[in-house]
Amino acid sequence: MRHQWAMVIDLDRCVGCHACAVACRAEWQVPVNHDYDGYSFIKDYDQWLEVVSPEGGGDYRRNWVLRLGPERTSKGEIAFTFFPGLCNHCDQPVCVDVCPVDPEEREFVDFKTGKKTTMQIKATYKEPFYGAVLIDKERCIGCGNCVAACPYRARYLNDTLDEPKADKCTFCYERIVHGEIPACVKTCIADARIFGDLADPNSEVSKLVRSGKARRLESEMVKIGPNVYFMGKEKNLELLFKHFAPRKRTWEEVEVRARTRRGVLKMALRKLPHLG
Amino acid sequence: QDLPGSLGAKEVPSVCEMCFWRCPIVAKVKGGKVVKIEGNPKSPTNGRGDKARVCARGNSGIKLLYDPDRVLHPLKRVGERGEGKFVKISWDEALDEVAENLKRVRDKYGPHAIAYFDHGASAEALREVFKGLGTENYSNEPAFFQCVGPVAVAYINAMGYLASGTMQYTDMANAKAILLVGSHVGENVHVSHVMDFVEGLSKGAKLVVVDPRFSVAAAKADIWLPIRPGTDTALLLAWINYVIEHGLYDREFVSKYCEGFEAVKKAVKDWTLERAARICDLPKDKMEEAIKILASARPHVCIHPGRHSTWYGKGDVYRHQALAVLAALFGGIGTPGGLYFPTHIPLGHLGRVKEINPQPSATPLKEKYPFSGPFPGSPTNEIIQATLTGKPYPIKAWGVCGVNILQTIPNPYQTMEAIKKLDFIFSFEILPTETAIWSDIVLPDTVYLERYDDVYVYDGLPQCYVTARQPAVEPLGEAKSPLWVAKELARRLGFEIFFTESELDIINDKLRGLNLTFEELQKEGGLVVLPAKGAYDRENFKNLFGEKGLKVKLAIEDFEDEDFSPVPVFEPTPAPPKGFARLIYGRVPVHTFSRTMNNEWLHHEWPENHAWINDEVATKLGIRDGDEIVLENQDGKRSFPVKAKVTPGIRPDCIYLPHGFGSRSPKLSRAYKKGASDQFLITHYVQDPFMGSSSHRTSFVRIVKDGKVLDIPELRPVPPEIPRFELAAGSAAGCRIEKHLKHKKRRHKKTHAIEGC
Repeated sequence: MRHQWAMVIDLDRCVGCHACAVACRAEWQVPVNHDYDGYSFIKDYDQWLEVVSPEGGGDYRRNWVLRLGPERTSKGEIAFTFFPGLCNHCDQPVCVDVCPVDPEEREFVDFKTGKKTTMQIKATYKEPFYGAVLIDKERCIGCGNCVAACPYRARYLNDTLDEPKADKCTFCYERIVHGEIPACVKTCIADARIFGDLADPNSEVSKLVRSGKARRLESEMVKIGPNVYFMGKEKNLELLFKHFAPRKRTWEEVEVRARTRRGVLKMALRKLPHLG
Repeated sequence: QDLPGSLGAKEVPSVCEMCFWRCPIVAKVKGGKVVKIEGNPKSPTNGRGDKARVCARGNSGIKLLYDPDRVLHPLKRVGERGEGKFVKISWDEALDEVAENLKRVRDKYGPHAIAYFDHGASAEALREVFKGLGTENYSNEPAFFQCVGPVAVAYINAMGYLASGTMQYTDMANAKAILLVGSHVGENVHVSHVMDFVEGLSKGAKLVVVDPRFSVAAAKADIWLPIRPGTDTALLLAWINYVIEHGLYDREFVSKYCEGFEAVKKAVKDWTLERAARICDLPKDKMEEAIKILASARPHVCIHPGRHSTWYGKGDVYRHQALAVLAALFGGIGTPGGLYFPTHIPLGHLGRVKEINPQPSATPLKEKYPFSGPFPGSPTNEIIQATLTGKPYPIKAWGVCGVNILQTIPNPYQTMEAIKKLDFIFSFEILPTETAIWSDIVLPDTVYLERYDDVYVYDGLPQCYVTARQPAVEPLGEAKSPLWVAKELARRLGFEIFFTESELDIINDKLRGLNLTFEELQKEGGLVVLPAKGAYDRENFKNLFGEKGLKVKLAIEDFEDEDFSPVPVFEPTPAPPKGFARLIYGRVPVHTFSRTMNNEWLHHEWPENHAWINDEVATKLGIRDGDEIVLENQDGKRSFPVKAKVTPGIRPDCIYLPHGFGSRSPKLSRAYKKGASDQFLITHYVQDPFMGSSSHRTSFVRIVKDGKVLDIPELRPVPPEIPRFELAAGSAAGCRIEKHLKHKKRRHKKTHAIEGC
């Protein structure tokens, strides 16, 4: 089996403390957009889609905790749980599909084995060894297509930079290469985040996924192979899926725009004020 | 330096002060700035394995350090008190002014006319100066009188040690069952405490949560008991009776370690589950199921003592005493999974700090409260009363450090009146809080990341440690360390307390007790692990009174000597007046008290609070989730606008507000007017007769929406045993109710008329 980094989030352990979200913000200097203070209180998927507009911008976050409940489930129980989220590093990353940047050949090295491979990549790509979806910041044109395409709202456009760039969770690829663990995992006070390689049958993540306890946050309409899994009491998973399972094929609208290269134009327009 | 993120940063081991749990941290510095804070991986509490945990607040210390609103220069008030108009002055000018004013007050009214409100690490050095001035009012900690007073008094007297105060010696990690009464672990975040809680649950511990609100802990519970507020002791007494009647207690433990069993047995004999069920408004079968779960786990059952316990003023000590009795009946003391004993860690003698013990006054403010000792200081509300009335002696000057008194002590309106009467008030502050803007002089304090400070020991499980605080960066602006400020102030007052200018000397003096130096500590990564000794050793346990061997007092003679009941009794607190719900409050996991609401990152996560309203009540009142409302209390005081959170997760007779929001300081640019302050609605309080703490759950609110006052319908009738809170005749709310009723009638007529058209 191919390596694939994955994360399982255990809602039975999670206490909703938001340490993960803040640690990520600190580690990667994720800016704060005060127009979106209170992101944690977004209640459902439709509202969530609005917060990151197709034009990019909106809230800035790689990692978040949304709070769900207390409310009654279909069985009449009361549930109160959380949606701790991050990029899903999907098997079929629709964000990569919509990137309008011309592919270039790039050599990749497996940081563990030193093994090399070459691959044609756009500005955003699925890294060949561990399956992390990454961004080549040098080549990103900040068009915002990937931001609009992601049905999980896991990307944002960092327009606080001189040249806006898309940004997202990397599974802390850079930290892992340097022998560290992801920042959100390292700080998780409840040990609710389990990170590992699905290709390793002995890893905790693959055991949990194999057991069927850990579930992908997806729907009939949106099935793109997310590699972040959730587990916990049925009533809590019910709230999570009811409110935040993706239910819009957000990327289908974006492909058209990519072909018209509207994104490139938009980026140029966005830069105009800086010229003045 | 070229590595991404915080990789490759210089790492400075230190100690967090975003709350007083004080987790060991590593501050990561790049280019002279703190860029990241992580837990100290060496810590046996928040480290462990490849993890190094800090909570959201610990992660956000950086944004306290670099808060653009920080007070970075000494300030002198130029407008009225509370107006927030200040000019920058020099340190010399500021300290001269503080010293002169304190001297003037002392010379004119005597030393006790000076009072000091303090909390946290910064406050300690300055406390010595107040002691040096000779006042008995030098450590009036809201941490005690507004928070842990009742639980501390109950456990010190029942068990001979502080099983719960600043620390909780609760072995939840090894418990087979856990009881939480009102404690919302998870929303109230102290890292290792939450870790123990989660670990215990993940290993299969059963959880019973008693709380009028469906808290995060309740969401993880096997049984949630949504109790009528103020009746917890009734439930506990019925459980104690049930345990005794059904022989569900640990006979060996009781006969070997407990005194007063017969007295308790006699006192609780009429407390049937039926009686408690009616009073507590709980289903009897659930109560029974819960106590059976707890009993079957004995002795590895953690009856959590609770922490913030200043709820109703009357009966708070008995509630925690009842929890202690229950723990003892189960034998859950000095055993894995129960309460455990702290390890004695000997620190060295502080030769460089003069020991001062001020003489008490002839009429101490704590005189009426026989159990306010052995802690120094006077009940905070007694100080406010004395300031207002001049009795039993005048108080004319206040110093404040580390506590925002207007968002901490009930009835801030009264506190503001008291401040107006003072000759002088100064504060030593990091941020321009409400307290700062009511001060005459504000001295800029350093953030914990900017200074050496103290040695910190952890004396609990799974292992103990010693660590010390040190700076990661130089102080910003003109902020000065507490030791420097205390020394300079003492010098101006004509005495000397600290015989060194270096915190490091004091740190090394203390470390000597463990045969360590600060340098050695640094070589070990800033923290040395020490073994926990005797956590479960009942025979060699030494209590606070120096006696060896555990002795639990199920009946407390010292209470009887002061005309209190020796065994816990139920003292009902008045139910809400008709039309009102009880205001309850609690914590959110990303904020500490009212301190962190201005922090950029924490504000982003949780900018404002929401008022939790029961869904049935909301439906009856026509309030929808997210509607903007105002809360009005029984004295007619109104909150800032706040969003309604409509949920089945709260009883219909309460409204819940997370604490610390709704700042009234316009100088806190992010926090100002965001959400509603619970504190500014708590105007009615009752002082605990044991130690003088003040109650926080004795105020009531109703809802104002679109300018209309809405009465809360009473969906859960109050039983006859519980008196009802009487609105003061002629009080603002009393009058308003009448007016409102009249108005309502008129409005109805009008509505009819319109409909008729």
